[in-house]
Amino acid sequence: MSIQATATDLLTIEGLGHVYEGTEPFEAIGKLDFTVPEGAFVSIVGPSGCGKTTMLRCLSGLMKPTRGEVRLEGEPVTGVPRDLALVFQDYSRSLFPWRTVAGNIAYVLPRDLPKAERAARVQESLDAVGLGEAGAKYPWQLSGGMQQRVAIARALAYRPAILLMDEPFASVDAQTRAELEDLMLAVREQFGMTILFVTHDIDESVYLADRVLVLSKSPSTIVESLDVDLPRPRDQVSTRELDDFVHLRSHIARLIRDQSMKGRPAA
Amino acid sequence: MKVSSSVDTVSLATPPRPTRRRPANGSRRLKDFAVRWGALLAIGLVWELAARLADNLFFPPPSRIIERFFELWLSGPPTTFFLTESVATNIMPSLARLLGGWAAAVVFGVLLGVAIGRSKVVGDYVEPIIHFVRAIPPPALIPVFFILLGFGNEMRVTLIAFAVIWPVVLNTIDGVRSVEQLHLDTGRVFEFDWRKRFFGIVLPSASPKIFAGMRVALSVAIIMMVISEMVGRPDGIGNIILGAQRTYRMDDMWAGILLLGILGYVLNAILSAVESRITRWHRGSREGVS
Repeated sequence: MSIQATATDLLTIEGLGHVYEGTEPFEAIGKLDFTVPEGAFVSIVGPSGCGKTTMLRCLSGLMKPTRGEVRLEGEPVTGVPRDLALVFQDYSRSLFPWRTVAGNIAYVLPRDLPKAERAARVQESLDAVGLGEAGAKYPWQLSGGMQQRVAIARALAYRPAILLMDEPFASVDAQTRAELEDLMLAVREQFGMTILFVTHDIDESVYLADRVLVLSKSPSTIVESLDVDLPRPRDQVSTRELDDFVHLRSHIARLIRDQSMKGRPAA
Repeated sequence: MKVSSSVDTVSLATPPRPTRRRPANGSRRLKDFAVRWGALLAIGLVWELAARLADNLFFPPPSRIIERFFELWLSGPPTTFFLTESVATNIMPSLARLLGGWAAAVVFGVLLGVAIGRSKVVGDYVEPIIHFVRAIPPPALIPVFFILLGFGNEMRVTLIAFAVIWPVVLNTIDGVRSVEQLHLDTGRVFEFDWRKRFFGIVLPSASPKIFAGMRVALSVAIIMMVISEMVGRPDGIGNIILGAQRTYRMDDMWAGILLLGILGYVLNAILSAVESRITRWHRGSREGVS
């Protein structure tokens, strides 16, 4: 807690657990307790099948958890709260193909927003993701990385207090991924947002975050919470060379490997 | 031999796209045009020749039919854009009931289809009934509509609407059931109210299917219009055809048939143009332009 020691908690998760009912009930989430301080960038990383998507759906209010409580700004989350936005992994099925890029963004803004301000907000968020010129295009005319930029711009224009991201860069190539990571750090500065970022990429989780939460396999619990004290602004090359970075990523990699080995018959 | 085999390999690796998708250049478009209309012209000429040789009362040559077509409907005074009075008394009422019945079917069909497709309760109760009712051939209901609505316009519009609502309903159900869950989740994340959800997600998602239903409905609507005009109060294009046939005015009968063909072609062309404009995104996103 060295970084946000004085900050208030924006998102509080208490005793969160979820069991999928059915003929064979499946406990996706065991028990999760954590907080996301205001202004923090928190990464969640875990082995595959650690209930990350279930967790995000519960946190965002898209799904009602079987146990526990999620509070945003002190208010219990029942539906999707106004101050929360979610960026999905599958940008191509999240953007509306029948609307232009600018139309996709404008459509999530409140109806009573004056026209001029609406246009200004669309342009501002497009500029922030480096797509200032692409407003009139359709999402399907853009590359995958650019489509995810549009999805991010849409969330930015909505002005949430907290942005949840579900493995947003999992389906873009490495080069684009690095660009988008730096983009996230930049827009976070510009818009002053709190970000909860779920990924399966260990390096990415350390590179971006102030704090990394390592999840266990399902039923998921938090194995360890690690504060990342790497200096900002971060740099794709020099940050990744730092001893602290290397130690952190190795430590997390070991935790995750131990998790993946669990319950697996010895070779 | 060498060359052709390498061409084969290439075409195997990348399947050729249908010609429709290829951007047509000037000479290509001209060729398409020539092939399409040239064939029609050739058939017309053969028909003309055969009809003249046969000299049969029931099969007048096309030139005579076209001549009669102009006499009947396009020989009016310049003040009415050369349209004759018959256009106002026969064609316009036909067009009005055709489009009226079709439009009513589209509006109610989409509403019904959305209700059935989006609500499990409504779907469970109503869908079996729909599949039964749509199996009834609409002309079989003409006597019922006679009793309920008389012999005039109400009966005809209702009959058309009843006959063509089913393709719209079924396509809408299909369309709204295949809405992407992630689009709906996105709507929830950004707190869409029901209006935004309906007009912003459900309707556009289903629009390609709905348009397919509307096109089927339009062609059935023309059939039902003609059938409805062959019974009851005598007016409309269907009545012209039937009346002409009963009084051995074969030129008039064929002119009426030609008119129906032109009408169907033009209406379908207009609808297709509107459709391709509105659902441009659908083709684009499928082809994956990038």
